[in-house]
Amino acid sequence: MSISKQDAVEKARKDLARRLNVDASAIKEQSVEDDDFPDMALGAAEDGEMSGQMITSGWRIRLGAEGKNYEYRADKNQVRLYGFKGKNYRV
Amino acid sequence: MNRNNFLIHLALAIVLILIAAFAGQLNRWRRQWRHRVHIMPVAEKKRPSTAEEIALAEGRPGRAELLVKFKSNVSLSTIDEITSRLHDRIEDRIESDPGLEAIDDLDDADVAETVAQYSALPEVEYAEPNYEISLDAVDAPSLPVLPRDPRFEDQWALANSGQRGGTAGADISATRAWIKTTGSDKVVVAVLDSGVDYTHEDLMQNMWQRPANMAPYQDNELGTVEDEFGFNAIDNSSDPMDENGHGTHCAGIIGAEGSNDIGISGVNWKVRIMPLKFMNAGGFGTTKDAIEAINYVIDRKKAGVNVRIISASWGSTQKSRSLEEVIRKAYENDILFVAASGNASTSNDRTPHFPSSYNVPNVVSVAALDRNDKLAKFSNFGMKSVAIAAPGVDILSTWLGNQYEEKSGTSMATPVVAGVAALIVSENPRISVDELKKKLLASVDPLPQLKDKITTGGRVNAAKAVE
Repeated sequence: MSISKQDAVEKARKDLARRLNVDASAIKEQSVEDDDFPDMALGAAEDGEMSGQMITSGWRIRLGAEGKNYEYRADKNQVRLYGFKGKNYRV
Repeated sequence: MNRNNFLIHLALAIVLILIAAFAGQLNRWRRQWRHRVHIMPVAEKKRPSTAEEIALAEGRPGRAELLVKFKSNVSLSTIDEITSRLHDRIEDRIESDPGLEAIDDLDDADVAETVAQYSALPEVEYAEPNYEISLDAVDAPSLPVLPRDPRFEDQWALANSGQRGGTAGADISATRAWIKTTGSDKVVVAVLDSGVDYTHEDLMQNMWQRPANMAPYQDNELGTVEDEFGFNAIDNSSDPMDENGHGTHCAGIIGAEGSNDIGISGVNWKVRIMPLKFMNAGGFGTTKDAIEAINYVIDRKKAGVNVRIISASWGSTQKSRSLEEVIRKAYENDILFVAASGNASTSNDRTPHFPSSYNVPNVVSVAALDRNDKLAKFSNFGMKSVAIAAPGVDILSTWLGNQYEEKSGTSMATPVVAGVAALIVSENPRISVDELKKKLLASVDPLPQLKDKITTGGRVNAAKAVE
């Protein structure tokens, strides 16, 4: 099923709230931008994951919570958390 | 005979000999002079100006000899009368085609004029020079081969005429390669990817199918897999149908059926695409599934499938020794492994990208170029680790549901190189994997802008590759 931009933002907020163990209302949406990512894992491959090396259009979602910034990347197929404590996660 | 008579006879004999010798010399001089007369008008003939004259000049008629076809109602006696009247001679009658005469022009007149003279006669159907057929004609440069695919003009990677702001000639010279070969259905290329839409109308004729006399794939853990159209390593099934589009795009670059009046042309008009699915609908997959799929390719090679190339438009920065080892097994089984260098705009010498950075002899790492022969802004590079470049920006190819889309990435450059490798194999079926790689890399057109960026410093050239 295809994911919309709004669905992706909502999914990202819920994921970050869960990881930080805070209420979703504490997650602030800083920016959501259209962007091109270097591959089909949106430049955020998990360990052991291989992805197609095709430029992929999606959205860069920046969220804030407890004074810190977090970056999610999404397209119609997926939502990923980028560089969270040095690692990437598929949400 | 007295002494005086003898001397007179001797003198007469000497005079006669001298006269004969002089006459002989005169004859030789005359022949030489005639020869010069015969040659000179040709050499001094006016420059051809009309299309017909140019064609005649380029046709290099061997001598003043014509082939004249008289109409069927013209009798042999009339033909004799005409040729005699024009001071010509029938050299030969072509019995299998009544009325066709090989005519020697005794005047050694200009061939074009003589052809025109005969062509103007009401008794003549046609007249033409008896062209000299020489090796020169065979060696003459042939015209580029253009396919009848309606969207071919959008395929700048194959023939760049400068369309959409590109640079004419910044392509892989596919149309010249096709003079020699358009591929072969005996050559199998494994597309290790998200699968392939094997029902796409521009691909279906070029899809691999397990031969009826070949046993299905057997795996100790998986059991029997009815691999009729390839292999799906995600769920270990026989259905490699693409749910993403990426694999279908790569397959079309290698081998969308050429000149079929549909869509586009692949680098190969004819080839066999073996679809291997290890990436899901999102376009990503696991190292383990990639290994399973390569293992499948090696098994099928051992079973007799002529799979010579794996096209791998994927990767990551994570190194896997297991993946490296199975690629080495592919090398030991004479299979080339063409891999995307990656899209991080970074040097693979500093930050390796795998599988393209594995130090295995069959690996060919591919960078991407735009339509002006510039390294794509996203493309990885590396003097030690990236071998060759190919078009990879705005590449039109097949997509799910009989569609076509333009995509960019080293993903797109990789199947261009894999496709050229398949063309080489079509011309050299017994070529070893080492020779294949060598020939591929030696084919490049050097580009100054790549000199310090990649090992060969150039763009793959299909025409040179199949020379």
